[in-house]
Amino acid sequence: MAAADSPSAALQRRDLCSRGIRLAGKMRSDVIDLLDTYVERQGLDASASVVTVEGVPVAAVERWDEQTGTQRLLENLAAYRAFRVLLAQMLEEHREQLGDADTALGRALAAVLLQVSAFAYHLEELLRLESRGPPSEEGTAPPPVPHLGLFERKLRGLGVLRELAQWAVRSARDLRQLTKPSLGSSSAPSWAESP
Amino acid sequence: DSHIQYERVGADVTMKCGSMDWDAAVTWTANGTDIDESHLNGSYLILKNVDLTQSGQYSCYEGSSWHLKYQTYLRVGTPPKEPVLMCRSNNYPKGFYCSWHLPTPTYIPNSFNISVIHGTKEMVCEKDIYPKNRCHIRYLQLFSTVKYKVTLTVTNALGKNSTTLTFDEVAIVKPDPPESVVAKPVPNNPRRLEVSWQNPSSWPDPESFPLKFFLRYRPLILDQWQHVELSDGTSHTITDAYAGKEYIIQVAAKDNDIGTWSDWSVAVHATPWTEEPKHLTTEAQVTETTSASTSSFMPPPTTKICDKGAVVGSGAVAVCWTAGLVLAAYGVLFI
Repeated sequence: MAAADSPSAALQRRDLCSRGIRLAGKMRSDVIDLLDTYVERQGLDASASVVTVEGVPVAAVERWDEQTGTQRLLENLAAYRAFRVLLAQMLEEHREQLGDADTALGRALAAVLLQVSAFAYHLEELLRLESRGPPSEEGTAPPPVPHLGLFERKLRGLGVLRELAQWAVRSARDLRQLTKPSLGSSSAPSWAESP
Repeated sequence: DSHIQYERVGADVTMKCGSMDWDAAVTWTANGTDIDESHLNGSYLILKNVDLTQSGQYSCYEGSSWHLKYQTYLRVGTPPKEPVLMCRSNNYPKGFYCSWHLPTPTYIPNSFNISVIHGTKEMVCEKDIYPKNRCHIRYLQLFSTVKYKVTLTVTNALGKNSTTLTFDEVAIVKPDPPESVVAKPVPNNPRRLEVSWQNPSSWPDPESFPLKFFLRYRPLILDQWQHVELSDGTSHTITDAYAGKEYIIQVAAKDNDIGTWSDWSVAVHATPWTEEPKHLTTEAQVTETTSASTSSFMPPPTTKICDKGAVVGSGAVAVCWTAGLVLAAYGVLFI
């Protein structure tokens, strides 16, 4: 494997970041469309406020500009792995509700789940390029599905999708930061540093 | 005893002459001018249905001694109407600002208090020195789905009013327009204009938060705009300009991912390159030039209508000019 700082690794990294930015942009666009469909099909108010949902990775971050490259990748990867599980749960609940009926909502959920999985894999590739490798998922049990009523589950789903849309914006920004040349200071988004 | 007294427009105002009895002999003045006794009820001054012109200094003097017994500054005004509040981030991701104004003046001093709440957290909106009716907030978090709630309360001596805005981080992002827009003709290209611009200087980090741009252009003589959306770069070449026509061009900016388009930039004007006409070689011109000065015949650009491509050979220039004059007259009819 090429050294993390070799020219070919740098080119690969840049290429992966550029593709990742495009993936994140497409994912965001599809999540926003999915949000519209979800709100409509679930009979929700689009402006309904949802309190922080347990188990949903929150995109909000303080001192975002001070994060290192590794921190960005690790936080993104942890988030999308969690979203992969959450969306799978939502899809399962949706199928339980409507049986095998191939609804537009079901198809949209499945499509976004695929993109989330692809993006998580993309992030793993970026971490491998860093010679660090992604953290293992073995041993981490998926969070238990909370026992919620139907309406509460719908609101939870709304919270999941809203947070995912925000993550998609953040991910594009994070990857763009990774393509910037390192300034050499300890607070710069440097590949060499690890938390 | 002197103080300020605030009263609403249309109110009836009664002023007592300090501690003087009702039946004391007094004289009231308004801004130094005696007030007619018809406005007095005993020693009380009665002003009915006050209007803004009655603001001023009112003084009461004891009848015989002319000792000043009471003085007040009457300010006639209105309680505040609901203020107009606007919040915007033109420097994302640094923060945002809120600005406000009253839809109608109150004519008396007002104080403004603004509160910004993000979730459960109260944030400080630092007031700008100039303009006074503005404050700014630094984002402590980015990528938050929790909305911001901004409440502005305006208070004066006659009442108070307030308004609230609720928005999320991305909804208020609106860059300033692009700066230094320049449009130039392209030599030897009668249908091209080269346009360039710069990112607005208020946008702090265009490398990490790139802007995309919207360019619009039209010839001055037409109302319909052409539009081009550009996802990167700060220049563009228009390739379908009408030859010889003056164009008006503007650019707007938007963050690549979030928010809304800026206002249009300052408009710039440009005319595509046109070929200078070849010198006429008819006998008339030879006669003219032998007796005239050394300056060569150069028609003004605005009268040049014929395309380089439409003219073949110098003999066609005279025909072209005649056609040009006809077309110019035709064009004037339609402007």
